Amino acid sequence: MCYHWPVRGIFFVINGIFYMRVLTFGWDFPPSRNGGLGVACFGLTRELSRDGVEVIFVLPKKQDTIGSPRFVFADTERKINLYAKVYEIASSLIPYHSSDNLVQSLVSYDAIGCPVHKTRTILEEIHRYAQQAAAIAQEEKFDVIHAHDWTSYLAGVAAKVASGKPLILHVHATSFDQAAGNNVDSEMFKIECEGFTQADQIVTVSQFTKNILIEKHGVPADKIQVVHNGCDNAPVPRYEPVLKELKAQGKKIVLYHGRITIQKGVDYFVRAARMVIDVDPNVVFVISGWGDMQNQIVEQVGKMGLSGQVIFAGALWEEERDRMYQTADLVVMPSVSEPFGLVPLEAILHGAPSLVSKQSGVVEVMTHVLKVDFWDVEEMANQILAVLRYEALGKQLREYGRQEINRLSWSEAAKKIYQLYRNLVNYIHS
Amino acid sequence: MLTVCPYFHVHQPYRVKRYRVFDIGNDNQYFNDNSASDLNNSRIINKVADKSYRPTNKILKELLETYPDFRFALSFSGTVLDQFEAYAPDVLESFQALVATGRVEVLADTYYHSLAFFYSLPEFERQVAMHARRIKELFSVTPRVFRNTELSYRNDLAKWCEDNGYLGIMAEGWDKYLGWRSPNFVYQPAGCSKIKVLLKNYKLSDDVAFRFGNRGWASFPLSADTFGNWINAHHGDGQTINLFMDYETFGEHQWEDTGIFDFLRALPKVILRRADTSFKTPTETILAYDSVGTYDVPDILTWADTDRDLTAWNGNDIQRDALAKIYKMEDDVLKTEEIDLIESWRKLQTSDHFYYMCTKWSQDGDVHAYFSPYHSPYDAYIAFMNALSDLQLRVQYALKAKVAMAEKEAVVTIHLSFKMRLLAWWRRLYSTSSFFSKKIGKK
Repeated sequence: MCYHWPVRGIFFVINGIFYMRVLTFGWDFPPSRNGGLGVACFGLTRELSRDGVEVIFVLPKKQDTIGSPRFVFADTERKINLYAKVYEIASSLIPYHSSDNLVQSLVSYDAIGCPVHKTRTILEEIHRYAQQAAAIAQEEKFDVIHAHDWTSYLAGVAAKVASGKPLILHVHATSFDQAAGNNVDSEMFKIECEGFTQADQIVTVSQFTKNILIEKHGVPADKIQVVHNGCDNAPVPRYEPVLKELKAQGKKIVLYHGRITIQKGVDYFVRAARMVIDVDPNVVFVISGWGDMQNQIVEQVGKMGLSGQVIFAGALWEEERDRMYQTADLVVMPSVSEPFGLVPLEAILHGAPSLVSKQSGVVEVMTHVLKVDFWDVEEMANQILAVLRYEALGKQLREYGRQEINRLSWSEAAKKIYQLYRNLVNYIHS
Repeated sequence: MLTVCPYFHVHQPYRVKRYRVFDIGNDNQYFNDNSASDLNNSRIINKVADKSYRPTNKILKELLETYPDFRFALSFSGTVLDQFEAYAPDVLESFQALVATGRVEVLADTYYHSLAFFYSLPEFERQVAMHARRIKELFSVTPRVFRNTELSYRNDLAKWCEDNGYLGIMAEGWDKYLGWRSPNFVYQPAGCSKIKVLLKNYKLSDDVAFRFGNRGWASFPLSADTFGNWINAHHGDGQTINLFMDYETFGEHQWEDTGIFDFLRALPKVILRRADTSFKTPTETILAYDSVGTYDVPDILTWADTDRDLTAWNGNDIQRDALAKIYKMEDDVLKTEEIDLIESWRKLQTSDHFYYMCTKWSQDGDVHAYFSPYHSPYDAYIAFMNALSDLQLRVQYALKAKVAMAEKEAVVTIHLSFKMRLLAWWRRLYSTSSFFSKKIGKK
């Protein structure tokens, strides 16, 4: 099958630098606004390129933009175009959906110019993506395959079968996180198991996720390596704060930022808000995000009599989001199950201390955040109140946290991934 | 002649329970955790008693009976004595039996194992006096050698001890201040003329206290014979080997399965084997040897970490904040004259509370390198500050109540004086009227 490139792959060594080419499958890349996954893929790809790794980044793409190829990171970091090639595949994968969700894709236009849509399940899309992946694997020359997140696992496996190259699966989330423990999507679970069996090496973003793979999927521990996500820690611009009037009234701002889904534990956040308000009415809670639980949360807020104290800010991105981080006195990430969790890192970068659930990967790398079990609403409220009451606490979390994230760079994560690539390539050619 | 001066420090704090913001104003019991966690003080006392205090005291008693030349010193915090009395009276009795032999010296200390010397001298003096009274009451002895919380030390503390009649004081024998000199002699604190300082031989002390059970250590497993040889190697270049350590080294820091009890049992015999080697209590050591030089410590020295300073207790913002807040309350708390409030305030001064808030080690990501009953330094700070907030509220109420009471008394006084004036007026009236009536009668 791999007849048109050298059997030994394309890697070579110059001046002690190990050059290789990696076929990477993902489904999200900045500046698209989907969440932490694209951010992670971007950070890793950028750093790997600097290390002498040539990355071919394959992305699924909605049909309506095919034909006018638009590189997804064209506006943000042009540098990356020098090293990485971006592929877009005619597929309509949308992140954070379960396998039986329906997606619509534009097929063509009818006689009077109305769009014709075709409805497919995510599952069909994944299989389609895999088919395309096999074709790409035959066209391209590379040494290693690296597939990010469950939607790309089958694509990675297909590419491996087509090329015979080693496969690394990068686990950013599992079916158990999305379902927050119960009602695990069985199709997704099947794909995970299939992928984990076929993969030569698995990377998880935390020990927390590694444990899930060992316990729930039965993956042998030595096949999994933990590579914690990094964080861009360059100084950020300071913006004019938002909610100035509330601040002027002496109100404290507690922020939730993230999707509004069962996985994220927003309902626990609202319950904690009730307990906080009972003690200190001078607090305002801001919920920034979107998701399938939104109506439920709005209803819960109303029922608990919190309409005056909870603000729904909608999904905030980029400058608006940063502005909100900079305004907040505390950011809460109450996730029920969070493989990593970039929110506290983004928050601290903008000078806001965080309270995060212990059911997250980020607690493994951050000391200077407050930690609480997501279900312990009373303790959550206690800690929120403590930060607002005791100035020294917030001050220390802010200062020490800022120093701490300087150690969490993407280049550290990329170094580990790079080593993994090398070991696999060396192993195969030894 | 070489003598060994062992001293074991016995201490347990009153740990603050998971005291939440919601408890402020509703719950004035900060130390009564009754869960199965490590915040349950009575549970800890009994756990440590079983692992350490009871078996170790039994061995020490036997050793004192077997070897007439065996002696050592103990220092107790008042908080551990109170907790023994309440939760494990038999342990207290076994300590009393040891001291009753006359060969176990008890050292002076602060009652609440506090860092008060560095934050409030009057409070420090009160706690030292309380401690001395308690020791006298329980052991019928008066301590003559002082050791401060966490072996913290500074020239002015030594001076204070000299001015207050102590014979000696204990400190860490730290290279920074010793230079080329050996800790195995008696020194005079800078600025003092009578008092002497005993310096901990940290190498030999820590071999037992920290390294004993470490399987990665080159000298593991350490036998009493080997340790005896290390001590004897100092014949000729030292007079006293000061082995200072936590009492809980035996059985708690070093578990029974490390062989620590066998080590302790065998040590006196090994040391007393040579006719020119023996044991001395701190007082005996101070009286036996002349000072060979000056020990000059201008900055705070402790026995903690590689820094040997106070940064494990006041190195970060939350620790400094908590310390500042607790000592800021001093005047108000004392003004209330309420035993309950003053005692709670003092229990909150115990150094352990601030140690639990330490984030020094987490710089290396090694958060578990120290023992704390809390999940994180921040949990410790939050529980402490919440309890402190409640105490502040109670103090404010008590002071208000006192002011109200004083006003009421003042009103009563005014009222009384009004009555007195009325009475005097009546008397005057009466006397004048009789005067008049007499006059009238005469007419």
